[in-house]
Amino acid sequence: MIKILGLEYFKIRRKKIWTMIILFLVVEMLWAFMSISRSIAGNPDQAVWESVFFSISSMNGLFMPIISAIVVSRICDMEHKGATWKMLVATNVSRSHLYAAKYICANSLLLYGILAQGALMIVFGLIKDFPGALPIELLSRFIGGSLLTTLAVTALQQWISMAIKNQAFALCLGMLGGFIGMTAGLFPDAVRHIFIWSYYLDLSPVTYLYAEPSGSYMVQLVSPGIVVAALIMTILFYIAGSIHVTRQEI
Amino acid sequence: MSSSIIVQTHNLSKTYEAVNRVNRVNLHVQEGEIYGFLGPNGAGKTTTLKMLLGLIKPSEGTIHIFGESLSKHRPSILQRTGSLIESPSFYGHLTGLENMKVMQRLRNVPDRNVDEALRIVRLENQKNKKAEQYSLGMKQRLGIAMALLAFPKLLILDEPTNGLDPAGIGEIRELIKSLPARYGITILLSSHLLSEIEQIATSVGIISEGKLLFQGSMASLQHESRTSILLKTGDNVRAEKILLARAYSPARMGSRLKFANIADTEVAEMNRLLVEHNVPVTRIEEQKKSLEDIFLELTGKERSL
Repeated sequence: MIKILGLEYFKIRRKKIWTMIILFLVVEMLWAFMSISRSIAGNPDQAVWESVFFSISSMNGLFMPIISAIVVSRICDMEHKGATWKMLVATNVSRSHLYAAKYICANSLLLYGILAQGALMIVFGLIKDFPGALPIELLSRFIGGSLLTTLAVTALQQWISMAIKNQAFALCLGMLGGFIGMTAGLFPDAVRHIFIWSYYLDLSPVTYLYAEPSGSYMVQLVSPGIVVAALIMTILFYIAGSIHVTRQEI
Repeated sequence: MSSSIIVQTHNLSKTYEAVNRVNRVNLHVQEGEIYGFLGPNGAGKTTTLKMLLGLIKPSEGTIHIFGESLSKHRPSILQRTGSLIESPSFYGHLTGLENMKVMQRLRNVPDRNVDEALRIVRLENQKNKKAEQYSLGMKQRLGIAMALLAFPKLLILDEPTNGLDPAGIGEIRELIKSLPARYGITILLSSHLLSEIEQIATSVGIISEGKLLFQGSMASLQHESRTSILLKTGDNVRAEKILLARAYSPARMGSRLKFANIADTEVAEMNRLLVEHNVPVTRIEEQKKSLEDIFLELTGKERSL
């Protein structure tokens, strides 16, 4: 299994996956930081750590599904393009191990992205001189929530990317997820919780209370039910995808 | 050449939607052979080879490779088997050498195997080029190098010369022919080209519509192509009677009498006999059945292979 995982990292060289992750993150972070800076300029009360956690969580709803779709698609597509499935299976590589290796590889890359977001958020807060100590707890919860949602999203993406050769389907799903993730806040809770992409906001450590004339940020306790739902979706998508792909004839 | 059986299938069948794509095939591949698996497109060659590698499950029948059941000892069998199925498999964004390194890690073989396999297929000077930039022939050679990397006991090649130009076909042919003697590799090779199998294989299996129609040595297939003599006379009925009385066994074939498997002296004797009995001999023709004729007879297909 370790050998297969090592091979995945070897095989993604020259796939420019890092470049794409960095580009998307740069756009997202610049957009978020400019938005927060403008907001602070209009209302200095919003110069708090919570603002940056909420903004990045809500923007992750748009960006992370798309980044996840691209990363997973790049990792899976090389097997379709080179017709390498049959070569690997004929070399006695277990399909379930290969599926697991791709999943771990994709999520490890995305975890680096989430960690980079966390670091940039701290740097931004320090530059803006937000009051209070470094919000380690908020940061941990942000990383945990984003990672858990990403695990479920990539499980779904990998299922589609491996089962359907044409990666347009997987990328369209990523874009649809981004749209749902971005507009999740507009849906009623019952509807929103069906869609995994809305969990970036649901599992965020900070929420925003809308009130006239302006709202305020509030630290929220994440409901265990949401965490369990995300875990169940992750396991379901992963197992269903793995079984489906493993049983496909080559 | 040892007589141990490397590949043996018993009633191997694969059914898709009630259609038998492979129907009760009993393959026997002996050690050290180059076994040519011949059949028209869609005959079931690739399906059979995929079943031998465990890529698809048989609907019925058993497979034994190296004397072991594939269903029970798949990992150990695949460790000793190299394959190239349909088109060559490779990562286009990686160089030829990097593709070999991928296979090297999977096979756990030393660096010298990589160098040797690249040298055998003459890709050592192109190894640092991305595989997607290779010509079709180079891709095919890379696929063969990857299959050869561990110098397996059994090499399964599915249409290895597909899409190659005549020079490339010749090159791959010579390479394949050299492998059993140089490395002790048994080769199971499929093709829809009779001429290719004729030039490479030592044994042959002919499959059509999922059924194995012939299996045996190349020599036994060539034996089927023995010559016949056709005689045309002014009175075939009389000529037949005269020759039957002299223990010849003519068969009627249109306006001619056909004699299978006879020596030149016997032809001269028949001619003398008929002339002596005032039966004019107007034509003596030699008819040689080509392997292609035999193939078409076996497969019952008067069409492009």
